[in-house]
Amino acid sequence: MTTRITIDPITRLEGHGRIDIFLNDQGAVENACFQIPELRGFEQFCVGRMAEEMPVITNRICGVCPEAHHIAASKALDGVFGAEPTPAAKKLRELLYMTFFVTDHTTHFYALGGPDFIVGPDAPPSERNILGVARKVGLEVAGDVIACRKRNHEIITFLGGKSIHPVAGVPGGWSRAITTEERTQIEDAARKNIEFARFSLALFEKIVLKNPAYLEMVTSDTYLHRTYSMGTVDAYNRTNFYDGLIRVVDPEGKEFVKYHPSEYREHIAERVESWTYLKYPYLKKVGWKGLTDGMESGIYTATPLSRLNVSEGLATPLANAEYQRMYETFGCKKITDARYEPIHHRMATHWARLIELLYAAERMLELALDPEITSPETRNIPDPARFAGEGIGSVEAPRGTLTHHYVTDERGVLTKVNMIVGTTNNYAPISMSIKRAAEKLITSAAPEEAVLNRIEMAFRLYDPCFSCATHFLPGKMPLTVSLRDSQGGLLREMRRKA
Amino acid sequence: MTAGTVIIGMGNPLLSDDGVGIAVAHAVAECLRHRMDLTVTELHTGGIRLMEAMAGFKRAVVVDAMLSGAAPGTVRRFDPKDFVTTKNTFSSHDTDFATAYDLGRMAGVPLPEQVSFWGIEAREFDCFGERFTTEVAAALPGAVHRIVAEIKEWEAAA
Repeated sequence: MTTRITIDPITRLEGHGRIDIFLNDQGAVENACFQIPELRGFEQFCVGRMAEEMPVITNRICGVCPEAHHIAASKALDGVFGAEPTPAAKKLRELLYMTFFVTDHTTHFYALGGPDFIVGPDAPPSERNILGVARKVGLEVAGDVIACRKRNHEIITFLGGKSIHPVAGVPGGWSRAITTEERTQIEDAARKNIEFARFSLALFEKIVLKNPAYLEMVTSDTYLHRTYSMGTVDAYNRTNFYDGLIRVVDPEGKEFVKYHPSEYREHIAERVESWTYLKYPYLKKVGWKGLTDGMESGIYTATPLSRLNVSEGLATPLANAEYQRMYETFGCKKITDARYEPIHHRMATHWARLIELLYAAERMLELALDPEITSPETRNIPDPARFAGEGIGSVEAPRGTLTHHYVTDERGVLTKVNMIVGTTNNYAPISMSIKRAAEKLITSAAPEEAVLNRIEMAFRLYDPCFSCATHFLPGKMPLTVSLRDSQGGLLREMRRKA
Repeated sequence: MTAGTVIIGMGNPLLSDDGVGIAVAHAVAECLRHRMDLTVTELHTGGIRLMEAMAGFKRAVVVDAMLSGAAPGTVRRFDPKDFVTTKNTFSSHDTDFATAYDLGRMAGVPLPEQVSFWGIEAREFDCFGERFTTEVAAALPGAVHRIVAEIKEWEAAA
């Protein structure tokens, strides 16, 4: 007989996978917060090191999005060393980044977000996973997901100089040019990615949009929060993941502010609440009004959906057509020639993610076809006379705007490091969605597993990234939901073990 | 068709004891370098990535930090059949190893016939640092010795 040994990595990680829901004296939900594990000592670890190490240090902070950290760090170094990358270098960086976006968004949809829709929100946890998706959609989809990851990982490996943790980003550019054979391989992969993205959108339409129950889940007001939206835009105010200005629109869709990433401190502040250790970022010029939405509340969102909300259409044709279709499905009116009123239904984030997947695939093809992409001019060597000693680099990570900020002494030794990671931006909206889900469920007679999953769905749509060991699998995450009274006393606890 | 042996070290070398799996994997490869063709892979996150990392190999050894509540430095070996997860063998962004393995099978990925997992109990795992704690550093040679012995046994039986 075999003894099954369960090793639960969570048991010793106190405060991880914990949700606290606070009730007021009338028994209504007052606040909700999700305890997100944080790694300690990062700034201390970096200070005293040479700044140029940062692209290879920061890409190890997180196993999920090393490419996002690598690119943001490289851009921050451009600033520190006063070295503007060559046009070919910028294109190579963006090309690597689009390839990464394709794999990341694909994996999220098929492994994390999709199971709730494709297998069903109330299916048993053992079926609500990527295997359940394959059984429902057709076994060949399993092969398609694996093949998509494989062809893109191969490109990331030669483009980035190393598998998983890229090393090619340097101040002023990229350390490696690509050959014409490699360019052909990238073009071929990009074409396959476009087809796969279209297939995924068609699947979403067939299974979700054409099923009244699921369509209701996407368009219902359970997870509706009218917050400000944030995203990076190009010179034409269209979404760009690699570079641009940060644009924020208000809940009605009017541009609130557009600023250079280096000015983030003028626009973003952090709020500490007594009932949680999380720091909630908010728009400084609107102000903090608590976990509430609307024009007067400075809470903003930085997700695939918010990026589309700030964008004047999308820069590639197929993705732009899908963008229009999504806003028209929601009955949004056009507020400019290309842009619609924002969508605030958070479940639509899954749809927006697939539209971004198509955009990334199309942009990857554009870059692969750019004659300059095989140029050997991939770097401007930093000129000591232009050394600045401070740099801020920003990209759109799949899960929100990512900012790296470094300050060095005159030798280039780090004296200060600050980062705002994608997920952090969304702490307040995530808490609001959990709170909303709790309000709907708290008095319901739904079984415990169903309650836990509906709450999980609320944060899963944000695709939050936990840099260390927190399970995040549909129906499998060890989760403790505690209902507390206004004094913090425990009223009820719901628990799911791994 | 599958061939050869891969040793996969998992974890983050910048997060104190979390990097022990990677250090053990390299040390094992160093011991066996002269007698066999052994591939070493470093992986930061598991799930589908871990399944992909062992694709094409006949045998795979996975070494990772674990947080089971045992004394820091404790070394344990697991078979896939009685294995749920060590610290990094799942991915917070996709799935656990068991699901990823089934997915690979379903997709026709050539997967190893023999897989073993080794866990080394960590003490410090959420603070940045490049050194192991005393107990974990002391456990390293023993873990290397046991894994080398297992790979030699596999080789002898083949």
